[in-house]
This record gives sequence, structure tokens and C-alpha cells, in this order.
Amino acid sequence: MAQAPTLYITCSDQHRNGKTFLARLLVDYLMLDGRDPFVIDTDAPDGPLRAYFPGRTALADFSQISGHMKLFDTIIGAPGRDYVIDLPVRHMEPFFKTVAELEFFTEAHNAGFRIMVFYIVDRAPSSLKAARAVQEFPGIDLFVAVANEFVGTSWPRDEGALVLPDLPRNLAIAISDKRISLRSFVLGDRQNLPESQINVLSSFLSRTMANLSNIEPIFSMKKLSG
Amino acid sequence: MKPTLILVGADKGGVGKTTVSRALLDYFARKNILTRAFDTENPRGSLRRFYPATAEVIDLGNVAHQMKVLDTMETANVPVTVVDLKAGNLSYALDLFERIGVLEAARNGVFNMGLMHVVGSSIASLDEIGEIAKYLQRIQYIVARNFINETNFFEWDEATTRKYFSAIPKAQEINVPKLNEMAYEQVDVAGVTFKDFIENRAADGSQGKFSFVLRGYVRKWCAEIDAEFAHVQMLQEILTGGRQPGAH
Repeated sequence: MAQAPTLYITCSDQHRNGKTFLARLLVDYLMLDGRDPFVIDTDAPDGPLRAYFPGRTALADFSQISGHMKLFDTIIGAPGRDYVIDLPVRHMEPFFKTVAELEFFTEAHNAGFRIMVFYIVDRAPSSLKAARAVQEFPGIDLFVAVANEFVGTSWPRDEGALVLPDLPRNLAIAISDKRISLRSFVLGDRQNLPESQINVLSSFLSRTMANLSNIEPIFSMKKLSG
Repeated sequence: MKPTLILVGADKGGVGKTTVSRALLDYFARKNILTRAFDTENPRGSLRRFYPATAEVIDLGNVAHQMKVLDTMETANVPVTVVDLKAGNLSYALDLFERIGVLEAARNGVFNMGLMHVVGSSIASLDEIGEIAKYLQRIQYIVARNFINETNFFEWDEATTRKYFSAIPKAQEINVPKLNEMAYEQVDVAGVTFKDFIENRAADGSQGKFSFVLRGYVRKWCAEIDAEFAHVQMLQEILTGGRQPGAH
């Protein structure tokens, strides 16, 4: 059975820890998996994700009511596909507050969506605390703690986290170029990356994509165990 | 039970009087209490646009129209009658009701009567309260401070407020909470009740196409209004059918 349409929400309470990179990886992963994700980047007016995914990204300024409408009404108005919502740090709390006020997750469930939250937990104890608060938020079907090896994590090892392997600095900078498509790279297009970086990136992407593909079995297990 | 006549008025326009009338009618609709409504903004009452089946436009100076409202109070079998008074018409209406014996009848318990006085943030609003105090003996008086489309700053200080309120024995205060402008405007444009907007029902009864977000904000606002109305004695007596809560 095909998996249900899903809202993937990427967030964190800390800046510069790879959240937008995670959202990007997720979109590429979903597309490689044959899904048709639509991205809503609430980091207007910057919207870094739009440059990577033109044609499947909407920018919504979550500090405005019109932004709430662009985000929530778009999703409710066009169910049946996956959405990746990237929340910048400053919008995370307002986002969950608004979700509660509008009972958005209930409405999304009624529209057939599953809700998965990917939370990058970094080393600070405050990050763990903030992550726990989101983990407890009602209506989330799967909470995925994400440990970015580059920044470290305070998430307990025995609870399991999605690991983003460390990337050499020069490679991280190279692939942040808007013209680089990770999806094309996986499909064999090396996009003029230097030979020295190709193996490292291949290994990074194969590990990351494998980690992401483990999410569905985890979700099913969780559902089975009730 | 005894019918209740609720006047909604303000001495100046643009303070959200009709919004409060709509909020009241909506409140009763959500509580399954039948209402009648009269809009004295003759000939073009905006209340009628939102409640075509319930609201009727009348001219309060016209004796036939007065009879339509007052003489049918007991026979209409509708527990609540809401009269939305034309802006600036509050003192006039109270004076008129005093002269034709309506206030007297209410004081003698023929029916229940309340005045919901919608006031804006300026100090001039308090002067209005002073002007109408003499009519309000044994009439339920509710001051609705309207935040719906204004700032949240009120110029009133405690001492001045007390001075005015001490002249009115049965005064209660409520706040009409702020509603996001975009949500408010969309309900206006749609010309539907708040209840129908929340339930995504268009004016003709068909499925609406209203924003989920704006519906959510209106629903939250209605919940806030409910909480305000919940401590208005007159309204609670209507809901409990005149009985004290808990009584048999």
C-alpha cells in the first residue's frame, strides 16, 4: 500500500545547525523515492529552498496572517501530496501556537495527512528541552530527533536519532551552491565537482538516504506497537 | 419563561455596534435559542444582510413599527428579541421607550430587558454612560468595551469609571475581543453569520470556500466571546430558561 501523504516539518530551536540542509535532503529523498513533495519555506523573504526547488516551493511569511493562509490554506486546499515545511527558529513557537489555535493538525488528519516532525537537537541542554516540548505536542504522528554530527547533540543515544553525517567544510560549501542538485548527483550527474569530493559526497548521500529510508519502517513499527 | 428584550446601542457610529448584535445573535444560535432581530438603521440595515431570515428593518419613530417589536414580545414565542439601535440614537430610543411605557413595563417584570451599550476607547464614551444613567433603573445594563477593530488602549481610569458606574445599579462590563482584520473582512464580504463562516457554509447554504486559517481565527474569537458572555447574568438567565443554574 502506498504511504499516506505526509507533512514533513523541519525545525530547531537553534540557528545554523543544518535545518534547511535537512529539508533539502528530505525533498531530494522524497523525489528520488517517486513522491511529489511541495515545499513551503516560511523563511520569507529569503526562502533559500526555492532556489533549490523552483516550481515546487512557496514562500510564506509566517509573521503575517497572509503567511498563515498561504501555508495552511495551501495544504488544506490541495491534499493528497507530501509537503515539506521548513520553519526558521523565530517562527517555530508561533507556528505551534497557531497550529494549536486553529486545530490545524486535526484538520490535516481529516484531510488524510500524516504529520512527521524532524527536529535538529544540538548540544545545548536547552535544545533538548525545547525538542521534548515539541515531541509532546498533540497530533504529531512521528517525532524524529535529528543529530547533526557537525554540531553534536544532547539527544540521548539510546532513544535513537536520525544521523546527519559530518561533511568536510569545503564540500558543504561546494554543495550549498544553488546550481548543485543532490538528486541529480545520486542519479549519476557529477556536476563538475572535483574528483576528491565525489567519493565523500557519495558516501554521505548514501548513508543519509539510507537513514531517511529507515523512517518509514520506524513509523510502521510505531504504529504496530500502538 | 419571560421574553427578553435586548437593546444594542451606541451614541456614536463605528464602535462595532452591529458586530455586537451579530455576536449576540450568533451566540444564541449556537445555544439553540430562537431570536428575533430588528435593525433601526432604516431603510438600509446591515444586520439584515447577515440575518435575512431573522432581522427586520424598522423605523423606531413609526408607531406601527414600535408595535411590531413590542406588542408581539409575548405572543411571538421567541425568547429573545434583539434591537440594534441606529448609531447616535441611544438616548433618543431610551427616551422614547420611557415615554411609551416600555421601560416601566420592564421594571414591573412584564418582560426582561437589557441594554448592551457598545463603547469605544475614547473618554467621550463615558459621557454617554452618564447621559443615559437615568433610564437604567432596574434595567440590566452591560457595557461592551469593543476591541474588535480598534486599539487595545482605553483612556478610562478607574476613578472616572467608578463615578459613572456608581449611578447604575445593575451594570456589568464585558470586553469584545479583537478579531484579526482579515478574518473580520472576509466574514463581511461573505455576508454570513460567524457560525456559518466557521462551518464553511456560504450565504446560500452551499459549501463555502472560506480560508481554513480565517475560519480558525473566527472560531477562536467566538470562543472568547462565549467566555465573556458567560458572565453576563441576563444572558445566562436566558440560557437556563430563567432558572438558577442547578435548580430543578
